[in-house]
Amino acid sequence: MNIDVSADCAVRIEQHFGSILTELERVRAEVGALFAAGPVDSDHLRTHVEAGTLAFLQDQNLLGGGFVAAPDALSDRRLYLAWWQGPGRDFLGEAEVPGTRDAIDYTRQSWFRVPERTGQLHVAGPYVDFVCADEYVMTTTLPVYADGRLVGVAGADTTVETLERMLLPGLREVRGTLVNAHGRVVVSADPHRATGEALGTVPDAAPGGRLLAVVQATADGHGAPKPIAGWPA
Amino acid sequence: MANPRAITSRARSAIFAPIGDEGRAVRVENRLAEAIRSGVLADGDRLPSELELAQMLGVATVTAREALVSLRAQGLVVTTRGRGGGSFVRAPDPGDVVKGRLATMSRVELRDRASLYLVVVTGCAELAAERAAPDEVEDLQDLLVPVDEEDVGRWRDAESELYLSVAALTQSARLTREVVRQEADFGTLLRVPLSEPDFRQASAGRHRALVAALGSGDVAAARTSVRDHVTHAVERLTEIHEVVRQ
Repeated sequence: MNIDVSADCAVRIEQHFGSILTELERVRAEVGALFAAGPVDSDHLRTHVEAGTLAFLQDQNLLGGGFVAAPDALSDRRLYLAWWQGPGRDFLGEAEVPGTRDAIDYTRQSWFRVPERTGQLHVAGPYVDFVCADEYVMTTTLPVYADGRLVGVAGADTTVETLERMLLPGLREVRGTLVNAHGRVVVSADPHRATGEALGTVPDAAPGGRLLAVVQATADGHGAPKPIAGWPA
Repeated sequence: MANPRAITSRARSAIFAPIGDEGRAVRVENRLAEAIRSGVLADGDRLPSELELAQMLGVATVTAREALVSLRAQGLVVTTRGRGGGSFVRAPDPGDVVKGRLATMSRVELRDRASLYLVVVTGCAELAAERAAPDEVEDLQDLLVPVDEEDVGRWRDAESELYLSVAALTQSARLTREVVRQEADFGTLLRVPLSEPDFRQASAGRHRALVAALGSGDVAAARTSVRDHVTHAVERLTEIHEVVRQ
């Protein structure tokens, strides 16, 4: 019985993050081809990705998404976020340091830096994003290359609140905790395990380079929790 | 039956006096001035006509006119006549905005804002020291400006981003949004003293102490380094304020 329900939780994770991955791969192909064809400016990029992104963002479980340019990939701007977010799917464009009109350099943020370094899909967070959304989110990003050069990352944000609503019932059934690749709690059946807290005893929270894992406490509550599902599967 | 609370007739009449359009013009003016200073209304943006503005804000035309006159006097709006004419936003120089705000601020208001800022950011530092993971603290190293850096803008941006990052490490979106608000509201003033090399040197030391404290999970030390920094900055700002006001 437990196995069925844990599968259910795993299915929900796969449905949500799997559909994000499919979209990011689509954006990667679309934007990669655009940059491979010649110089691209910010308006051109925005026009090119807008319809597809907004169609994807029909899914109300997403906070926002789009494509974020690598520094100097565009011909007219150093930094640029072709990104739509919030209930109104508002366009972002640039993120500013509060109180000044200077653009925030987002390349320090782990959702940009990690895929830039590894060349792989990444799930950042849970973290409070003050650059774009001002929300507590998980950001899934995929690096995009043209002619072997990084031109930016395709990404999508999901709020932790959405993940809690989506996954908590299934996690309760298996007394499970969803953790990120660093063993930090995303959502837990255990009310004492707060989001963001390190589940210090997880030895290998996300085996095989998994980005997310569901772990289950042992029956007596001692010893390391064991992984029962992971994503990507 | 005795009247439980005697309200003086003067206080009473003040409460129930009509609000009138007098206070409204100031409110319209403040709202627009704030939008211009914060950049929500950009340089060159055309403002609605007096009539449209009055309708949109639900005030009398004369009130909207009064507000526009005052905004013109402050140099935040220019009005041109004739074909294609109208009222246009004139974005002020960022340095002038800060000085202008400082000049119109009383000492007690400065202290009031500083107190709120101090409590919010020291509280964030405490929680961040408890909650931050080592790799997250490691990322903050990038926000420590080399001591010999002379670009004041870089110092200001880095410090603002450092405090925002510390807020984010509390894992609380509401707290982070509050710091975003505080940074926009008071942070720009607090960073005025960074134009002085001695102050930058001392700041660099305090920021390094903060990052070290967060790294070692030392709640008290994290709090102290933020508190020291804000206190020193406010002291210096208050001296500058005195000069600007004279």
